Amino acid sequence: MNIKEKKQKMVKTEMSLVSLVKNETEQEIKKSIQEALELIQYKFPKNIKHVVVKPNMCYYWDYTTGQTTHPKLVTALIELIREQISSDVKISLVEADASAMKCKYAFKFLGFEKIAKDYGVELVNLSEVEAEPVEVQAGTEKFQFMVPKIIKDADLRINLAKSKFMEMSQISVSLKNIFGCNPYPKKFKLHNRLSEAIVGLNKVMPFDLTIFDGLIVPGSPTTKLGLIMASQDSVAMDATVANIMGVNPKSVKHIMLAEKEGIGKTSFIPRGMELKYFKELYPKKSLKNKTIMFGYKLVCRLGLDKRLNV
Amino acid sequence: MEKINLGLIGLGFIGKYHIKNCSKLDSVNLVAVADVSKKALNLAKSMGVKQTFTDYNELLKEKNIDAVIISLPTHLHEPCATSAAEAGKHVFLEKPLARNPEEGKKILSAVRKNGVKLMVGYPLRFSSTFLDLKSKIESGVLGEIQTAHAVNIASGPFMHRADSGAPRPVPDWWFNKELTGGGALIDLGSHIINLAHWYFGEVESIKSYLGYRFNFDIEDYAICVAKFKSGTTVMFNVGWFSQKTALGVDLFGTVAHASGHRVSPSRPLTAMQLILGLTPTFFAPFLNEISHFISCISEGSQPSPSGDDGLKDLETIAEAYRNQMRLD
Repeated sequence: MNIKEKKQKMVKTEMSLVSLVKNETEQEIKKSIQEALELIQYKFPKNIKHVVVKPNMCYYWDYTTGQTTHPKLVTALIELIREQISSDVKISLVEADASAMKCKYAFKFLGFEKIAKDYGVELVNLSEVEAEPVEVQAGTEKFQFMVPKIIKDADLRINLAKSKFMEMSQISVSLKNIFGCNPYPKKFKLHNRLSEAIVGLNKVMPFDLTIFDGLIVPGSPTTKLGLIMASQDSVAMDATVANIMGVNPKSVKHIMLAEKEGIGKTSFIPRGMELKYFKELYPKKSLKNKTIMFGYKLVCRLGLDKRLNV
Repeated sequence: MEKINLGLIGLGFIGKYHIKNCSKLDSVNLVAVADVSKKALNLAKSMGVKQTFTDYNELLKEKNIDAVIISLPTHLHEPCATSAAEAGKHVFLEKPLARNPEEGKKILSAVRKNGVKLMVGYPLRFSSTFLDLKSKIESGVLGEIQTAHAVNIASGPFMHRADSGAPRPVPDWWFNKELTGGGALIDLGSHIINLAHWYFGEVESIKSYLGYRFNFDIEDYAICVAKFKSGTTVMFNVGWFSQKTALGVDLFGTVAHASGHRVSPSRPLTAMQLILGLTPTFFAPFLNEISHFISCISEGSQPSPSGDDGLKDLETIAEAYRNQMRLD
């Protein structure tokens, strides 16, 4: 092996594979997921008894808004798991109650209750199941999180991430989706140290595989992007999606902290479609929204925000 | 003019508007509020309300209160309005009057028996957009209105709102048909059905098509077709399924057509108006309706929309639920 080859090998081991697949129709979603997995050379492990799947559910916004996981992506994944692992593998779709969202309504509202019935999978409200306290440090912050036993004991954990621009964390992709596994419903109480909390939760609940649902993405305007991605490294996934969104991953605190804490690598090797193709189509954060947020921050700083509470 | 002493029962989404609006009316003294939430009561205190109660029955015992605004969940309208009437208070009751005509009739009976006034809160009746359409219909410039479309599509109870930085949860009662009396049709439909009654009079027949996009046992969208005795046919289109609000009426007359649509307020403009203590355009009809209610009490006249109007709306909605076809 010459120096050039050695160097290339070294670079490659410091990078994670991230695949990008263009999905054309809803009927092809399963094929697209399969292609995305093949591009990162991923095969479902054998002897799996229990798979936990964490979709992204956000308030009572259905998938057409681009805010939440497309139900057809979930059903396509269930079919793939059953075909490639075993027809009797147990699959649990998990989510926790949030400040303004209750799973008992959201599962029904977003179509997951119907999926559970039609496909024989289990719906689990993480706020209502057995969990044990785990202490963790992320950056300079220390936390004690309740880790649901169902996540800890699962043989395979799959993160179905969405992408959003967010004021507090800049962007929300796969790392932020695990914030939703925190069983404590009043998650807004962690917003003052959000980046650390996101990383802490990813440390105590590591997921094995991330599939990114960019079929529809929110923004101005909501866009049918038709993108499906896969990676075994959620940090690399977030860094890739940040690029597509036009955000420098180095400016996203939780991504950089996650890398520092050893969750994954921001360096990635894209496989499949060109990243540039999706970057051009991705709806950018509008100037109007930026101005509104600037104005809101100013109002808060001046202590006038209570006047807006009607 | 002597001030009217008001009590406010229910400090949810709309109740908080009423506190602000009451403070803008010289003829009103908001003396007390009632709500089960201590957080909401503290907010009311911070806005200058002196007396707070966690039980509305205690508020109704206050002798110095002349009238109450009731902005409670629909299943509490009948017991609360009836108790208020029996306590001799005039009543401003948020729409819909009740969950069904039977409850509505109980309220009207208590109001008549105790000689108090009842007004149902339909802010569109106090919006210049819809008042203009009423004038056009009455002036004859449109000829006879043969057909009309009325639309009220929004996110309904699933509006994402934040209170002091924390997202506000959707109260559980919204998911329970027993407590709401129905879905988008009674919630958003009551606004435009009330307008149509005001514009065209009595309904002769109505048929509805109900949809269930979100898999609950309450409809989240509905399309109704109503034939009015006046000869006008109206299509009502309501839904809870959209992040964007569409609220308006299109009139198609034998001479001319006219449309009135509420324009969604600009967020920065609304914020600026709120910060400066002005009444944002969106809130103006809410202020106007309370002002009308107070004037009616002072002058001894009958408020409009009345309890009878609210009952008529409920009867039309009940008929629409009876003549329904499910859209699956």
